[in-house]
Amino acid sequence: MKMSLAQRVLLCWIFTLIFLIMLVLKLDSKINWNWFLIFLPVWTFDTILILMLVVKMAGRCKPGYDPRDGEQNLKRRLWHLAALLLKLAFCLTLCSRLEKLTDVWLTVVCVPLWVLLGGALVELGCSVFHYRRD
Amino acid sequence: MLFSLRELVQWLGFATFELFLHLAALLVFSMLVALRADMFTPTLSWWLVFVPLFAADGLSTYFTAIVSIRLYQENEKRLAVLRLLWVLTVLSLKLVCEVLLCQKLAEQEQARDLWFGLIVSPLFILLQLLMIRACRVN
Repeated sequence: MKMSLAQRVLLCWIFTLIFLIMLVLKLDSKINWNWFLIFLPVWTFDTILILMLVVKMAGRCKPGYDPRDGEQNLKRRLWHLAALLLKLAFCLTLCSRLEKLTDVWLTVVCVPLWVLLGGALVELGCSVFHYRRD
Repeated sequence: MLFSLRELVQWLGFATFELFLHLAALLVFSMLVALRADMFTPTLSWWLVFVPLFAADGLSTYFTAIVSIRLYQENEKRLAVLRLLWVLTVLSLKLVCEVLLCQKLAEQEQARDLWFGLIVSPLFILLQLLMIRACRVN
């Protein structure tokens, strides 16, 4: 089953909207919740994405699947999984830093984010370059 | 992941190169924020920290202007005007949000009336616009 673009956008839209509303309420000190609770939409959204990816990757284990078909595809999915985990790591360390559970530098907290952004830049850069060469 | 690059370009209305530009700006910006917060450079003003984001907006506007002029010359007038209007709307909403946030951070005392709901309101408008555009692209 493949979701249409509007459905996928709606999924992102709902979670972003809820997260933004909760973030604004927290920053304006209207609510006094734990930061981990404020990030609840982010956790939920990431869990859904990881589950979807894992299910898609598990499809390779089905009998009759030709592994030569999706060698490139598998690499891409592994990178997507790594990106999601990096994002999760960044959000988790950020939350614990905001809750003052740890006292690490913000530079350390940001390292997963930088790796993620660097990877995304390389991927985008490759497609820009390929486009021109074509 | 959830969207392919082609879908993203169609949905957001930005070229791949512009997406690359904004991502790079975000990377530099997050580095500057981390440096500022960890007090390696306490004299660094918030306006300087936000310079990469402003620069990306400026470059993106320039790029869009050139693409629109080219489209106009090639007699794709409707497409040129629509693209220019959409990109300028998105970029101006983003810029308003950035300037307000920067002002809030830079002038903690004077900007006390500036609550975060107000700062994020351009993003709420942007979210609605993106949703409407997704339905149209679909």
